[in-house]
Amino acid sequence: METVTWLLFALGVSLILAKMGDSLIERFELPGVLGELLMGMILGNLVYFGIVAPQYLPIVSGQGFTTDMTAVANFLAKLGIIFLLFLGALDTDINQLKRTGVTATVSTVLGVFVPLLLAWFALMKMGYPSREAFAGGVLLTATSIGLTVRVMMDLGVLKSEVGAASLSASVMDDFLGIALVIFAVGSGSLVELSLKIVAFFLITGVVWWFLVDYYIEFAERLHVEKGILGMAIGMMFLFAALAEGWFAAAIEGAFMMGLVLSKLPEGKRLMEDLRAIGYGLLIPFFFVHTGAMLNLTVFENANALVLAAVMSTIAVVGKVIGRGFGAWITAWGRGRSFLFAKENFWMSLQMGIGSVPRTEVALVDLMVAIHGGAIPSKDAPEFIAATLIFITVSVLITPPLLKWAFRREIEENKSLKAARKMEQIKATKERIKEVKERG
Amino acid sequence: MEIESAIETLNSLKISSIMPRIETMPVVTAQSDILSVLKILRTRHHVWVVSDRDSMELLGVIRYLDVVDILLPPEAHRFKLGMTSRTMKSLLGGAAKAVDVAEPNPLSIGGDATVLDALMKMRKYRVQVLAVVDEGRLIGEISLRIVIDELLRLLRVGGASWRQ
Repeated sequence: METVTWLLFALGVSLILAKMGDSLIERFELPGVLGELLMGMILGNLVYFGIVAPQYLPIVSGQGFTTDMTAVANFLAKLGIIFLLFLGALDTDINQLKRTGVTATVSTVLGVFVPLLLAWFALMKMGYPSREAFAGGVLLTATSIGLTVRVMMDLGVLKSEVGAASLSASVMDDFLGIALVIFAVGSGSLVELSLKIVAFFLITGVVWWFLVDYYIEFAERLHVEKGILGMAIGMMFLFAALAEGWFAAAIEGAFMMGLVLSKLPEGKRLMEDLRAIGYGLLIPFFFVHTGAMLNLTVFENANALVLAAVMSTIAVVGKVIGRGFGAWITAWGRGRSFLFAKENFWMSLQMGIGSVPRTEVALVDLMVAIHGGAIPSKDAPEFIAATLIFITVSVLITPPLLKWAFRREIEENKSLKAARKMEQIKATKERIKEVKERG
Repeated sequence: MEIESAIETLNSLKISSIMPRIETMPVVTAQSDILSVLKILRTRHHVWVVSDRDSMELLGVIRYLDVVDILLPPEAHRFKLGMTSRTMKSLLGGAAKAVDVAEPNPLSIGGDATVLDALMKMRKYRVQVLAVVDEGRLIGEISLRIVIDELLRLLRVGGASWRQ
């Protein structure tokens, strides 16, 4: 009985601190998730450093801390990941993908595979086994566009060609980042895994095209409180179970079900309820739980710092080169003559820098890789530390880099605004003059 | 008419028999500027967004409450996975056309459905207006205002001005 009490206590403390941390960090115009991770890190290290006994904060597992209650906390955190991906997919505008041009497509593919291959190679050189190195590379694939969108909005360049391409690319980017983790955690031969993926997509396709409309119509006829919501979540869990069974990655099922439901207006109308469950309980708990996994004693070992330095460098350089080169090579659809133009270089660089931030999907991939065994538990603390560091580095350096890359556009916008203001003043003066003359 | 029989009659009415003419509905095209949308929203609770006036292909809806997201500056929004679509509606963030701020895939119902069907759908999804579509084309709407007008007309205690 007492253990349940402390689990409830830990859950309460985690949620309150998560929301406070989120609010605190958002004040610095940084993603609130950093605040949630920070609060988790503080809580976890109270246990690691022996300040609080582990039974009073059962959100820390491993290293001799695992109990029945920590297993419950682990499961709740896993539900948080599932809801995060479900919500992310449900909020996706599929039409954005349809509008994606060649530049966004090529730059996304290179922007995903360049950091993946660089990290895979570098980590293998550092002595990590191939599968683990590949999993490390996957962590660097998905961009978190939120920060870039905010900075681009502030700079007034979101509606530019680069802004629009960045948005399209980010949708595909997430999709690839989530899909690639299957190859890190999936078991069996490559052929077997590929067959399972094809079968999974076929099942999803059938549900998408033929069944989901009837399923929602059936749910509507049940006439029970929150019936449609319950039926939608139920179906999502079935997909998650299938994906967990086949690829050890429940998130794939949640993500695909989110995409399937996103095509229906009824699915979109469930967003508010799902956000309440997700962001009111499970998702902040997942971030706190992840932060709590970072045992600061890991930095006593230089390996963690070296890994963090390597991954941070590849996270930034790999993305800028990959996505930037991908955009450059297409010359933004303006033909060969534009290829070596200065403008092509700058637009491609802006595109590359815009893809640097990583947050949620990197953490999701990290947890999937750890739980799926691609990153063994002995190396997990190093990877957790490295991931939290490259996330922090990527979100801190992106705003100043974007401001630098867009400085010409910012100046142009400023001059344009100033010119408009001058015209307005001139027009007002003329009107005053007219009125005076009449008077 | 007694209230019971009026409600019974109302619930069994086909939507197509009470929906307003398309010309009287708040409709804008995808490329309309947001200020035109806001002008309509001073007096209406929603605006339908169609691809163009000829095809009337329904693209989305802008609701009264969406004005909050439109007017909030970008920094007031939270950038989290699963919440980005709201942020993109910010006028200061760069949204300029009706299609930029419209919620795609609005809830709809067929013209052959009854008022009861419409009310059930409204209750399930907590909305006060549904688009009436025929193969993706906007042909009308059914809202609580229309339903109230029709009930008052049946009870002969008030007129539905839009029908006159």
